[in-house]
Amino acid sequence: MSEIDSLMQGLSLILTAHHLGLMVVGVLLGILVGVLPGLGAPNGVALLLPLTFTMEPVSAIILLSCMYWGALFGGSITSILFNIPGEPSSVATTFDGYPMARNGQAGEALTAAFTSALLGALMGVLLLTFLSTHIAKFAMEFSSPEFFAVYLLAFCTFIGLSKNPPLKTVVAMMIGFGMAAVGMDTVSGELRLTFDQPWLLSGLSFEVAVIGLFGIGEILCTVEEGLVFRGERARITPMVILRTWAKLPRYWLTWLRSALVGCWMGVTPGGPTAASFMSYSLARRFSKNRERFGSGEVEGVIAPETADHSAGTSALLPMLTLGIPGSATAAVMLGGLMIWGLHPGPTLFVEQHDFVWGLIASMYLGNVVSLIVVLATVPLFASILRIPFSIIAPIIIMVCAIGAYSVHNSMTDVGLMLVFGALGYLFKKLGYPIAPLVLAAVLGDKAEDAFRQSMLFSDGQLSIFWSNPLVGSLTCAALVMLCWPLLAKGINGLRTLLGRTLARRIA
Amino acid sequence: MSTTNDAPLVATRWVEIGLALFTAALGGTLIYGSLAIGIGWGDAGPEAGYFPFYIGLLLSCASLGNLLLAVVRRQAMAEAFVGRRAFAQVLAVFVPIAVYVAAMPFMGIYLASVLFIGGFMWRARKAGQGHRWLTIALIPCCAALASYLIFAVWFKVPLQAGVLGDLASYLGGLRP
Repeated sequence: MSEIDSLMQGLSLILTAHHLGLMVVGVLLGILVGVLPGLGAPNGVALLLPLTFTMEPVSAIILLSCMYWGALFGGSITSILFNIPGEPSSVATTFDGYPMARNGQAGEALTAAFTSALLGALMGVLLLTFLSTHIAKFAMEFSSPEFFAVYLLAFCTFIGLSKNPPLKTVVAMMIGFGMAAVGMDTVSGELRLTFDQPWLLSGLSFEVAVIGLFGIGEILCTVEEGLVFRGERARITPMVILRTWAKLPRYWLTWLRSALVGCWMGVTPGGPTAASFMSYSLARRFSKNRERFGSGEVEGVIAPETADHSAGTSALLPMLTLGIPGSATAAVMLGGLMIWGLHPGPTLFVEQHDFVWGLIASMYLGNVVSLIVVLATVPLFASILRIPFSIIAPIIIMVCAIGAYSVHNSMTDVGLMLVFGALGYLFKKLGYPIAPLVLAAVLGDKAEDAFRQSMLFSDGQLSIFWSNPLVGSLTCAALVMLCWPLLAKGINGLRTLLGRTLARRIA
Repeated sequence: MSTTNDAPLVATRWVEIGLALFTAALGGTLIYGSLAIGIGWGDAGPEAGYFPFYIGLLLSCASLGNLLLAVVRRQAMAEAFVGRRAFAQVLAVFVPIAVYVAAMPFMGIYLASVLFIGGFMWRARKAGQGHRWLTIALIPCCAALASYLIFAVWFKVPLQAGVLGDLASYLGGLRP
């Protein structure tokens, strides 16, 4: 099969000491940002981006994607040992992971979490390996209207499926689009929205927004909650690992279900966070030990972790094939790809064959490397959290400031980071989502290009978005997703009404 | 999540209203800026302000919607946004960051970082956390040195050194 051939080619490309070293460094950095409060996967990738500009794209993407896997693993360490989710997507892991650690089963909980995470990730990579070429081939036929419809679908899904109030999601998203619009107009080359301010000429970069919103905003929230790290001790011995592994196969159904949920939510822009919650509640509904959930049931750790990681990896599928990231971190990586001069989308599979398959191959290897590294370093990273907050916090802030500065070597960006930090604090407290803002800031220019091209084709007629069955169904799907909360309410109402009339009939 | 015995500072609805007004103003700015460059149909198709104009319009409309919701649901949003004590703690972190950021262009990143981290730890010592003076002196310097090594040396991303850079070049110039 051609996929296997390509994969082997990719493997031979990345099996060098340099790339393996980058993987370990990436994973270690990832675990570090995953463990530290205030730094997370999107943030870590944004901080590392400026350092990758001089690297080969393949090496750079290996470093960044391994950081992503590491951050996902690191998030589970804090959830289980400290009851503090290092990442929003590992909130569901705290429900049963922390009780397990309190019962003295920290080692089992961590091993189960990491192993199921690896299996979940592998499911995502398999999906990527065997589906991506087909999707890319299919998407080759897309022209501007189709692309805009796909973007529209992604953004409407965000609005429709988000737990946050829809209007707030719209506000966050539009701020992102507005940021992307500032500076040079990519079509006409004209300067716009700069209001004669020299610092706005080069536009507002999404990295600074990510660092401020996620980093500084998170720190401020942490301080307000007066967080104290009181962690459980973890001892991972080979015996514990083997004992846990022996127990895991009996949860294969939970694993399969969670991996499927994860893949689905990762490909659609539901994201890892939604996936882990959904998979946890499904596991509880179908489990035989339902009443033990919440008090340290290993199934309650396996389910969210598997879904979290399979969503995290499969989020790269739409990013590579269509140029639409499935999560905030994937969005930042997409921005990186564009900075390196690559064009995410179906043409990537033809023009950058080595890059794509190197990345996919590195995902197999990177996740295995992650598991080994994370099992070996848990005690080390757990001890990092015991460092007093008054040391950790200013260092994190310094790293954020330097990261913001190094994007364009500009001090204004550091100031902007502060503004975004305050905004991130308010956003988080008032229930505005941050991910749509990042997504829109990264995709804004591409979405605008697609829209304006379509308008050029049609002389300004919106009907072009219904001009053929493909684009028409995409646009309709987008509108359905947009109105999903209303539709769901309507269907529910109808169902109860029907149920009532039926009951009356029978009576 | 303010503690229960923490006097409320401000009700959530006022913050909601304030933020909605702010985002509405952002939308207004987008609309204004787009109008200035033309939102219509030029010789080469849509003009530069065509897309941002609608973005601004959507942003303002959604913000006004949020504003309306905040006003309508005033009962539900009467609870405290943040307690006085909790907010004092937030300010105790935010104000130093602001000073740090403001001082950076003059002092340079390294010196500002050393003072920032050192100041943070010194304050924690006053508050009764046992940092020894040696730790307070060493950790900030190590952090700055590490960032110099990682950014300026390994990855060739020079950071603005400010006063320290001037000093270094002055000393370098003294040498024959």
